[in-house]
Amino acid sequence: MGCKLSAIEYYLPEQTLTNDDLEKEFEDWSADKIEKKVGIRERHIVGREETALDLAYRAANKLFQYFDKSKIDFVLFCTQSPDYYLPTSACILQDRLGLNVEIGAVDFNLGCSGFVYGLAFAKGLITAGVAHNVLLLTAETYTKHINSKDKANRTIFGDGAAAAVIEEAAENHIFEFVLGTDGSGWDKLIVPNGGLRHRYDAGAIVETDESGSSRSANDLFMNGPEIFNFTIEAVPKLVAATLKKNQTWINELDYIIFHQANSYIIEYLRKKIGIPSDKFYMDMTYTGNTVSCTIPIAIKESFNKKMIKHGDNILIVGFGVGYSYGATVIKF
Amino acid sequence: MKRTDFYLKLIDALELSSDFSMDAVTNLKNLEEYDSISIMSIIALIDEYFGKKLNANEFKEITTVNDLMEKIGSENFE
Repeated sequence: MGCKLSAIEYYLPEQTLTNDDLEKEFEDWSADKIEKKVGIRERHIVGREETALDLAYRAANKLFQYFDKSKIDFVLFCTQSPDYYLPTSACILQDRLGLNVEIGAVDFNLGCSGFVYGLAFAKGLITAGVAHNVLLLTAETYTKHINSKDKANRTIFGDGAAAAVIEEAAENHIFEFVLGTDGSGWDKLIVPNGGLRHRYDAGAIVETDESGSSRSANDLFMNGPEIFNFTIEAVPKLVAATLKKNQTWINELDYIIFHQANSYIIEYLRKKIGIPSDKFYMDMTYTGNTVSCTIPIAIKESFNKKMIKHGDNILIVGFGVGYSYGATVIKF
Repeated sequence: MKRTDFYLKLIDALELSSDFSMDAVTNLKNLEEYDSISIMSIIALIDEYFGKKLNANEFKEITTVNDLMEKIGSENFE
């Protein structure tokens, strides 16, 4: 028994934040320089009263315009921005989406590697006979965690959601996975306060870093140099291990999609690994880094723009917060 | 690597004008172009040409170009 990725949609919130907006807010911030370096022109920003769960709901409903939702028998929801500590967001989504009650539903907390892990979970559930049609949702609203004076992180991250169906198939279209974790990097991308280790602190001191971005321990912190060092170290090895496990080579693959962290980082990785630019997806111009949603957005856009077609073999590679990373090859 | 070649690569990484005069005592922290974005370029440069990694704390300790070369390892320069 096998499984395949049979449908995919995404949703971006209406409000946008452009480089020109940022340039007006931060006088030493150059819109041209930002776009040239990180490949981002605008990001979509979730509404004040809107959450990741709401975005996931909208993405799933786009997919249900053509996929029969009564067939869904498991919901996997990846987010680091849940509505509540409890209950489980996926349970709320089961009800809001009008899905059958005789289904499984779980949340999992991962960032940029989340979509790859979700595919691994879905494949496991299907090949074990636990489920037949898995709805994999990823939704992220990092902008809610970012201090309004943190120009660096406001430049990089955007909000969004994606919905995918992985269904049982006679032949496997989701091949071998290589997954990795290095928890020693746990504090390199973190929201320190707000969990149970350190509660939200209304009096937390706002500090300004050397490059002029301000944040407190209630806000998202990213140690950019350390994250880049991690990706330089981990991603080439991850790609090599995934190719080996799938007994394939870069030149045998039709397309390669990395998590869209920022264009500088992934372009450097592309060159370091030796991937031809014509089979490498790179476009975050109008989305920014949407964390666990960049890969499904990229798959959908690649298909819409005819960069991939049904039957193509695609390497997908996720890496980020945790540190957590993973890759696999899928036949689209 | 010759120090002068390193200066040229650093000028390129920092996107300074090509006629910028750089030497070992150039104060990086005083340069407007030395920011969180350009540090990515320097990390890439060090990885590509020296196969080394500097962590965020090491970057904090760097003021001049010479400090940077010492962190990379002075044995790498002639």
